[in-house]
Amino acid sequence: MEHEIARACAQGLSFFGKTNRLISHELKNVLAIISETLGLIDELIELSETGMGLEPGKLRSLSESVIEEVERANAIIRNMNTFAHSVDEIVGEVEVGQSVKLVMELCQLESAAKRTKLRFEKSEPCVLHTSRFFLENLIHHALVYALHGVGPENEIRVSLSSDEHGVRIGFAGIACNVIGEFPTKKGHLLARIVGAEVSMNPAAGELTIALPKKMDDAGIQNLISKD
Amino acid sequence: MRVLLVDDEEKFVSRLAERLEIRGFESDWATTSAEAFSKAAAAKYDVAVLDVKMPHMSGLDLKKKLQEMSPDMKFIFVTGHGSEEDYCAGSREGFCYIIKPFKIETLVEKINQAMNV
Repeated sequence: MEHEIARACAQGLSFFGKTNRLISHELKNVLAIISETLGLIDELIELSETGMGLEPGKLRSLSESVIEEVERANAIIRNMNTFAHSVDEIVGEVEVGQSVKLVMELCQLESAAKRTKLRFEKSEPCVLHTSRFFLENLIHHALVYALHGVGPENEIRVSLSSDEHGVRIGFAGIACNVIGEFPTKKGHLLARIVGAEVSMNPAAGELTIALPKKMDDAGIQNLISKD
Repeated sequence: MRVLLVDDEEKFVSRLAERLEIRGFESDWATTSAEAFSKAAAAKYDVAVLDVKMPHMSGLDLKKKLQEMSPDMKFIFVTGHGSEEDYCAGSREGFCYIIKPFKIETLVEKINQAMNV
């Protein structure tokens, strides 16, 4: 098991790096919009000094869009910060809905590239004793798989349900012809670490991750330095 | 000189086009590859400024298709991936890359270089 945990950690580093690259790409887009908008405002003011009329409505719309982009950047950075905190505690109490929402927001760029809508179906809070980071890695892996095989509705719906055994995360809207390929080796590995069972319903285009109330964390705890 | 700008960030590409217009370039913009094809079919552009990472079709693939339509068109790529490695990889392929965010003067300089002005 310790060998598998080490492999999962290596996968986790790759996930962490990829996510940070996507975030920096998104922030660069925001900065580029702010830069062009402020540049345009400056040029319109300069033109007005040479006698060309200045439209207050246009200026207002441009300045409002700067505020919108600052808010967008703030949301991206807030997610980045939340994601960075995923590794604070390797195992602990995790509200699964928060992790699902975070991963869905981090996947916005990938979903936009696939012209696919991601919809989270709200649920009651579902708290588990698990590894937040590996769980988020597994959710991300499943979501990226779903996005690659999205069905004709171009919408992936993610739902949560819980009972006395644990929590089930459902992904619906996957094309039936690709569903047999999951879980991949990586998916298997991440599922094993958090004690999840991954199942598929090809006819319905659904993928489900069933998580236990409490994962077996003995292997991970052995690897954590006690000093 | 006629320039076609393609980027899925509408606010970015529309404002960039307006700023180029202020500098005397005839500029059109598109936010999808399909829109870019239809504009390129309807008008002749000297230079296309393409975002590298776009939904459905990358800027590099879009460039190939546009080049089939207009063999004389020149290309400049813009990217949000700002690492030095990305820049070097792009340069090795012989394309002109500009990393977002950039100064408009840099783009104008690259357009003029592409057109040997």
